[in-house]
Amino acid sequence: MTVTALQTGIHPAVDGGLLLEVTNVSIQTDSIVSITFADPSGGPLPSYVPGSHLVVQYGTGVNAYSLTGSGSAPSEYAISVLQVEDGGGGSVAMHRLSVGDRVQVSRPRSAFAPVSTATHHLLVAAGIGITPILSHARAAAERGIPASVIYVHRRGAGAHVADASELLSRGLTELIECTDRGSFQQVLTEKLTTQELGTHLYVCGPDPFMNTVLDQAREHGWSQARLHSEAFGAAELDEGEPFTVNLVRSGIRLDVPAGVSLLETLEKAGKSIPNMCRKGICGECSLSVLRGTPQHRDLYLSDQEKAANTTMMCCVSRSDDPELELDL
Amino acid sequence: MRSASMPPAAGTGLEPGFRGVICASFGSTGDTAEQHSGGRPRHDLRFESANPETLSDLRSALGRSHVGVRLVLAGPQSDIRAAAAAAAECGLLEEEVILLSDGMGPSVIYCPHCRITTTVRAASPEVACQGCATTLAITDHFSRRIGAYLGYSAHAEEAS
Repeated sequence: MTVTALQTGIHPAVDGGLLLEVTNVSIQTDSIVSITFADPSGGPLPSYVPGSHLVVQYGTGVNAYSLTGSGSAPSEYAISVLQVEDGGGGSVAMHRLSVGDRVQVSRPRSAFAPVSTATHHLLVAAGIGITPILSHARAAAERGIPASVIYVHRRGAGAHVADASELLSRGLTELIECTDRGSFQQVLTEKLTTQELGTHLYVCGPDPFMNTVLDQAREHGWSQARLHSEAFGAAELDEGEPFTVNLVRSGIRLDVPAGVSLLETLEKAGKSIPNMCRKGICGECSLSVLRGTPQHRDLYLSDQEKAANTTMMCCVSRSDDPELELDL
Repeated sequence: MRSASMPPAAGTGLEPGFRGVICASFGSTGDTAEQHSGGRPRHDLRFESANPETLSDLRSALGRSHVGVRLVLAGPQSDIRAAAAAAAECGLLEEEVILLSDGMGPSVIYCPHCRITTTVRAASPEVACQGCATTLAITDHFSRRIGAYLGYSAHAEEAS
């Protein structure tokens, strides 16, 4: 099935990437499967920065998944995928992969890197958010940098628990598992108030979880530069109001109906806009706004950049004004 | 301005795990740091100047502190810049440090030839390096890590 999927053409997000073969599929939990890819000829793969992700093509779509290895001189790439029944179809396709299938993937992309000057990494994961955190923990253990992992998961449903425990004998400072909210809150407060100055915090999990962790860290005086997060679940967005865009350089006006994204509208009109996640996370589909106030719904731009109203992410953001003028 | 209740400078009096505001003043600067503590617990340090001994006191105070602490540095440029560099080495981030400069004061010049720094008291385009005696032209390139302006061998490109 993957072979036929490839015949549909290479998606721009994985163009110039790698064609890899599935070498192992293993069940982590009821809903999470780990998939290992390697070069079909057995060659080495490009190294990557801990916390990097891989864009994997399925059919005509692509999805990004965190790599779980340390990234240093890998001979294989491993991802773990949570099956999302009502998602875009990527996780279902990943769960159907079997050994020997070939998939087109991007080169690893880094968007959640460790800070090189940190003397301690405080790594916080919830659920499938363990994947990039495991990558960080492995890299820290390999490099001899102190790292503590706090891992929140449902009892008996935590992926990679054994992998994380095994790291304890290979240099990981500590692993704290929490299976209920109360114990996690206690651990989090204790950790946020007792860290030496070289500590940086990294968090990955569902949005509400990450917001809770980051808000509490700020309340305890953590500055923004110490806080690092990897968003994988963009909040569900409403369909929004219709608006019009005026493409100044092309001299065309397009109507963006409710429920259709600006990116889709532009693509239908034959415009090729670089894009990847289509969820307002990666920042690939950035457009310059010449006039009008965009309704920013992305997670990529900073508050300051949003307030400037000169850039917008066309995959999720819309318009507060009836018309936007774009530099296109 | 040293009040009787003010703790001695050597990092003592600072309880382990401090997460308030450390206000370190250099030279004769007054109590300028007060308005920057924002009502949080505050610990004062007073130093004559930034030298290896006082910077080691500052380091030990930061070593006892935990993430959440803020540092306010008040005094002459050269002193607070040296202290800020020491704080960065301790793991404090730029946005966690407030610098209150009390005017121009002397500047510190880094010699890339011998890696020694020289303090210049009067405004001057050139200075003789204290380490290797090279005449250094003074640039505007400032290193926050070293707390000094970059110098380079002056007139090196002129035929002798």
